Amino acid sequence: MKHFLRVLMQFFLYLYCKCLWRSLKFVIRKMTGRCELQRICYNNKPGARRTLKIESSLKFSKTELLQSAVTVHPDSVEKTIEDIMNLKKINPDTNPQLGISLQASLLQIVGYRSLVAEVEKLRREPYDSENPEHEDLLLKLWKCLRPDAALKGRITKQWCEIGFQGSDPKTDFRGMGLLGLHNLLYFAEHDNATALQVLHDSLQPKHSKMSELEWEKKKFDKAIGYSFAIVGINITDLTYSLLVSGALKTHLYNVAPEMPTLAHFQQTFCYLMQEFHNFWTEEDPSDIMEFNCVRAKFHKRILKQLRNPNMALCPHFTASDHLINL
Amino acid sequence: PRMAAAVGVNKQASAAAMESCVRHGRAAAGGTVKVLECGVCEDVFSLQGDKVPRLLLCGHTVCHDCLTRLPLHGRAIRCPFDRQVTELGDSGVWGLKKNFALLELLERLQHGASNQSGMSEDALGGAGERIIRCDEDENHIASMYCTVCATHLCADCSQLTHSTRTLAKHRRVPLADKPHEKTLCLQHQVHAIEFVCLEDACQPGPLMCCVCKEYGKHQGHKHAVLEAEANQIRASILDMAHCIRTFTEEISEYSRKLVGIVQQIEGGEQIVEDGIGMAHTEHVPGTAESARSCVRAYFADLHETLCRQEEMALSVVDAHVREKLIWLRQQQEDMTILLSQVSTACLHCEKTLQQDDCRVVLAKQEITRLLETLQKQQQQFTELADHIQLDASIPVTFTKDNRVHIGPKMEIRVVTLGLDGAGKTTILFKLKQDEFMQPIPTIGFNVETVEYKNLKFTIWDVGGKHKLRPLWKHYYLNTQAVVFVIDSCHRDRLMESHSELAKLLTEKELRDALLLIFANKQDVAGAVSVEEMTELLSLHKLCCGRSWHIQGCDARSGTGLHEGLDWLSRQLVAAGVLDVA
Repeated sequence: MKHFLRVLMQFFLYLYCKCLWRSLKFVIRKMTGRCELQRICYNNKPGARRTLKIESSLKFSKTELLQSAVTVHPDSVEKTIEDIMNLKKINPDTNPQLGISLQASLLQIVGYRSLVAEVEKLRREPYDSENPEHEDLLLKLWKCLRPDAALKGRITKQWCEIGFQGSDPKTDFRGMGLLGLHNLLYFAEHDNATALQVLHDSLQPKHSKMSELEWEKKKFDKAIGYSFAIVGINITDLTYSLLVSGALKTHLYNVAPEMPTLAHFQQTFCYLMQEFHNFWTEEDPSDIMEFNCVRAKFHKRILKQLRNPNMALCPHFTASDHLINL
Repeated sequence: PRMAAAVGVNKQASAAAMESCVRHGRAAAGGTVKVLECGVCEDVFSLQGDKVPRLLLCGHTVCHDCLTRLPLHGRAIRCPFDRQVTELGDSGVWGLKKNFALLELLERLQHGASNQSGMSEDALGGAGERIIRCDEDENHIASMYCTVCATHLCADCSQLTHSTRTLAKHRRVPLADKPHEKTLCLQHQVHAIEFVCLEDACQPGPLMCCVCKEYGKHQGHKHAVLEAEANQIRASILDMAHCIRTFTEEISEYSRKLVGIVQQIEGGEQIVEDGIGMAHTEHVPGTAESARSCVRAYFADLHETLCRQEEMALSVVDAHVREKLIWLRQQQEDMTILLSQVSTACLHCEKTLQQDDCRVVLAKQEITRLLETLQKQQQQFTELADHIQLDASIPVTFTKDNRVHIGPKMEIRVVTLGLDGAGKTTILFKLKQDEFMQPIPTIGFNVETVEYKNLKFTIWDVGGKHKLRPLWKHYYLNTQAVVFVIDSCHRDRLMESHSELAKLLTEKELRDALLLIFANKQDVAGAVSVEEMTELLSLHKLCCGRSWHIQGCDARSGTGLHEGLDWLSRQLVAAGVLDVA
């Protein structure tokens, strides 16, 4: 009986989606004289709320043109908008704002896709120690994080000071490829102060809630702290999975006025690094072995935040100010 | 048989004679008498029986036995020596005459032999010297020797025979100082042998007199004085005798030892003196016995352990059954209660149905509450039924150490360790999801359960970063197996792996843990092969005394991973159980 009811419910839902929704849309369109896209644009503020709605509307549309609009090349966005206006019989003169809004939203949607592709390409490119460009990036990272100390060699134990696992950082880039290195470098270059602070804190973990004696007892485990570089690579993985799963859409549609770029992604990384560091300090885990647990908790928290369509994960540093445009 | 005994005695006598010869340095012809042997079979004739000598017509003598074996030519036989024919009478060979002359001689010789042997025994019984009779009177015993007359004399006879003036001048010496007799040369009868030839060619007949030496066959040959040569040979014989004596001692010492060892093996009675000096026999167990008792003790111990393990396993099963039964009974009771509740509710409803309208309306609230509780109970019941599968089977598996495990899957705790970048996390996710992904460096640990056959592996993958290694020890507790992953294509880090592994193996908590070594990244060109790795890390030495296995693998394609798990399960689960499950 119960099962039968469930099936019945599903059937009605399907019917509603297939027929009722369409007929409802048709009725509203007739009543207001506006198409769905128009309604979305007029009723929502620009940003994630509008763009997300437009995206789903386009995706579920029965017209092929609208369906393919989300996968169109960025250069032909303008032409696609014109086609859509013609198709929907919207007069551009009476609705001058609509074209611009639609174009911005579509650019955001298309840009997000190309950003995913770009990030994926970077991630797939393994670190190559034969490649001088890669080597330069790595050395630059060292210079930003340790401006006072000179590197004694390409393969040296010094790398452990900034949190690599061994004497050759190359091996640590396996999963995230060049993306990890780019992110770390961006963080170190553009938000040098925070990066240095995080690095400093990771080397000297706080013992906030513990008494001096307790600290002495636990010193050994605690002293291990967490390692800046590989935590960076782990956070890169976190940011990457957020991007691929689409959870970052909220943030990027809010932050980027048009197409989101790699810089936006890297800023998000900087923000997450900073946030994670604060989160770690708040959690005050007893040793590094709890890292994955803390990370999972952090991931959950960020996902929850991103469910709010007004959310933007904005890093608070001056260098990024010009990129943010709400 | 008598004859044989006599011959035996004879041999003894000749041996004794030879001994005395050595002592006295005298040559003796101790040969056996060939005349008394049958010319055909070369056996000694006997006075009667098979070996009786019989005469042929031609005059030759052959023993009876051989005659019976000769071929018959009609009624005649042929002499085996000259082929003359001898006719046989009706009685055949028995009709031929015995050779009585020979028989007489034989009898006499046997007598003489027994006499001689008695005499030599006397001689041996004395100071080992031969008793020499006085030449004047057989009854006297000689004590001196006249060098001129060359006679043995006793003191009285010496006085008697040499009483005249001339004879009194004869030099007489005590018997011990009697000069050796000079042997005369065979070729030159007047000359005594004085020299020995040293040439190799003359070794068969080296003796020579002065004539032989100067003019005869040894002319110009190298030579030595007979006496000196003889003395030299005597000396060498004495030396040899000494050597033989020590050799004999060695042999007897060795055989004594053999006896001792046999005794030690067999064990036996031994006389032991106790504290107060009382001697009493005591049974000393031999090594054979102690070995047997050792075997017996070992198997007794094994039996005991097995019995204990069986008890333990049975008690585990009993406890499981008891708990399950208790739980089931509890359920039964619950069901009965539920049933009674439901029936009471039904009764109540029925009763309400029959009442008048006013009462029905009044009872509405109560009925609703009752129905609500019923519904809730129904929901709980369905949930329970969904949740619990009723199954009477009790699946049993056995571990290698004979513990019993009840349940469909046996759980095993495994820790994966190794240097950073060796591929621990990759292996874990390959096993878990069968997909290859480039992982990011592990901070802390990952934990996953992997089901394989009837085993459920809980794999803890701990980061390999240098600073994390001191924390590995927190994951050892109750670990049944350690999986150590080595990057095969990173030759310069092998030594680091080696030292980490050596450190691991000294851990007390891991003493009984199985060790599975994955030589990862075998697919990469230039990777160290499994054999080479075993050699390089000297694993045989390092892992001595624990169960370990090295498995080449490749986390990218997953080859070798399941072989490794197979090995682990074979080690953990008693043989045969896997196939049954």
